[in-house]
Amino acid sequence: MDLSELTLSEFCRGLIQKKFSAREAITVFFNKIEKEDVKIKSYLRLTKEMAWQEAEKIDAKISRKEKLPLLAGTPLAIKDNILIKGEITSAGSKILAGYRAAYDATVIKKLKVAGAIFLGQTNLDEFAMGSSTEFSAFGATTNPYDVKRVPGGSSGGSAAAVAANLALAALGSDTGGSIRQPAAFCGIVGLKPTYGTVSRFGLIALASSLDQIGPLTKNVADAALLFRILAGCDDFDSTTVQIQPSQEDYLEDLVKLKDRVKKMKVGLPVEYFAAKLDPMVAKGVETAINKLKKLGVVFKEINLPHTAYALDCYYIIMPAEASSNLARYDGIRYARLPELKSPISNLRDIYFRQRGEGFGPEVKRRILLGTFVLSYGYYDAYYLKAQQVRQLVKQDFDKAFKKVDVILTPVTPTPAFKIGEKIKSPLAMYLSDIFTIPANLAGVPALALPVKRYDLKTCAANNELPVGFQLIGQPFKEMDILALGRYYELN
Amino acid sequence: MITVKDLKNLSMLARIKISTAEEKSLLKDLRKILEHFRILTRLKTGKITPLSGAGFVKNVFRSDVAAETDFSQLNVDQFPEKEKGFLKVPPIFE
Repeated sequence: MDLSELTLSEFCRGLIQKKFSAREAITVFFNKIEKEDVKIKSYLRLTKEMAWQEAEKIDAKISRKEKLPLLAGTPLAIKDNILIKGEITSAGSKILAGYRAAYDATVIKKLKVAGAIFLGQTNLDEFAMGSSTEFSAFGATTNPYDVKRVPGGSSGGSAAAVAANLALAALGSDTGGSIRQPAAFCGIVGLKPTYGTVSRFGLIALASSLDQIGPLTKNVADAALLFRILAGCDDFDSTTVQIQPSQEDYLEDLVKLKDRVKKMKVGLPVEYFAAKLDPMVAKGVETAINKLKKLGVVFKEINLPHTAYALDCYYIIMPAEASSNLARYDGIRYARLPELKSPISNLRDIYFRQRGEGFGPEVKRRILLGTFVLSYGYYDAYYLKAQQVRQLVKQDFDKAFKKVDVILTPVTPTPAFKIGEKIKSPLAMYLSDIFTIPANLAGVPALALPVKRYDLKTCAANNELPVGFQLIGQPFKEMDILALGRYYELN
Repeated sequence: MITVKDLKNLSMLARIKISTAEEKSLLKDLRKILEHFRILTRLKTGKITPLSGAGFVKNVFRSDVAAETDFSQLNVDQFPEKEKGFLKVPPIFE
């Protein structure tokens, strides 16, 4: 049995049945990472000491025959913008290269209580600004299916680690598609929960009205398992809401699933399919639709008329919020660049040099863009206008969900693109988020899942790249999209 | 169209030092991006209520009770300059 290829639930069963110990499992993963991550570069750093300690604790519990928590011993990877107390958390930026987190993010606390073990922190575009990980200050991650291609972003390190079996599952964050797009590029599952379902406390903020933390996993059942653990109201994030996801575990029961899925109506938005799609993506999504039709799922054509405006709306709102959120990295609070450590008498010099030398090109671009759209004389024309368009995008979803339960769309217009292909053209890079952005603007949950089960070796032999499709659900109805996704992957 | 002077003002507002080489590429990129935003002018949005968040959030209150927190110590420990237990910053007024 290759431990690294297990799903979360298979792993948990194996551990309880003493097929392996937590320590053995961690050893397998660290050895594999050491050997294989040289090419993929999914991890920025490993948290070995903490992992060994936790593994010992879990093994001791097993030997004492104590009841194990839900995720006991499961080796996970964490995107490097989610705080783990005492560990460096860089957000992929030079400006935080030496910063040690002062507290655990709420999701980290929850995973610790659930017995999970953190292998390390994964690469991302600087401050989650990007769609390829090429904007990480510490170098790009590559796609395990083709190392000349990007893994997607910004949670590219997390997606690549899971796809390459260098972690059983991972956490990512999704502001405009940063979980779903890399999940699709790497042939795995990624869930962006409803805004307010998962606490953002301890997530290094990009755009606070859009950010959500979610799981990247090998299958839908694992995403559901992690989602149930992560979700819940948090005193430290006032945007979390008092709604607990259903704890009912019907995702393993094909009969119950079928019953639920048969009652669903799935919408196909005309606007998403009118867009120019790469033939590989078009074919993949068509395959998924046809398979679901054969399984008895009812489809209906719908309209989301403001889709064409969502991208521009997002690229006004997100930089506006980012410019405000990132004002805190001033060289006074948090870390200061080593070259500015010698006493500088002028406060202004510290601010300007810290930010000028510490932020990478994309971060500067977005902060300046955000500053522009918020500035006097331009606020109404850009920021206010974008907020009105956001209302229209949300209303599109409200209307559509009166007719259908779930909406099916592509995740991305193309499969994973080549490293360097879009780095020089910010607009081309932004366009890769075109199908994922609307769910963030409207705050609704969305799941990216692969069209079929992809295998690294077979794909390499056939020059094939993974393709995903997206299921968008009604607010707080993650279980609809998870049930439909699970039904799809089980058949 | 965004000018060199606009960009200089923005960099002052955002407190980011940018080099002359960066200035050129930033101007080119920002102009392209802002040009793309023009698509939004096609939409009439006169009376639409702006949406600032996802729309499910409610105001949240909690009791006004003092509580201990252990959040700050690690941040204090990492502060760039310290002297006699104080956190040191350069003078704010010149």
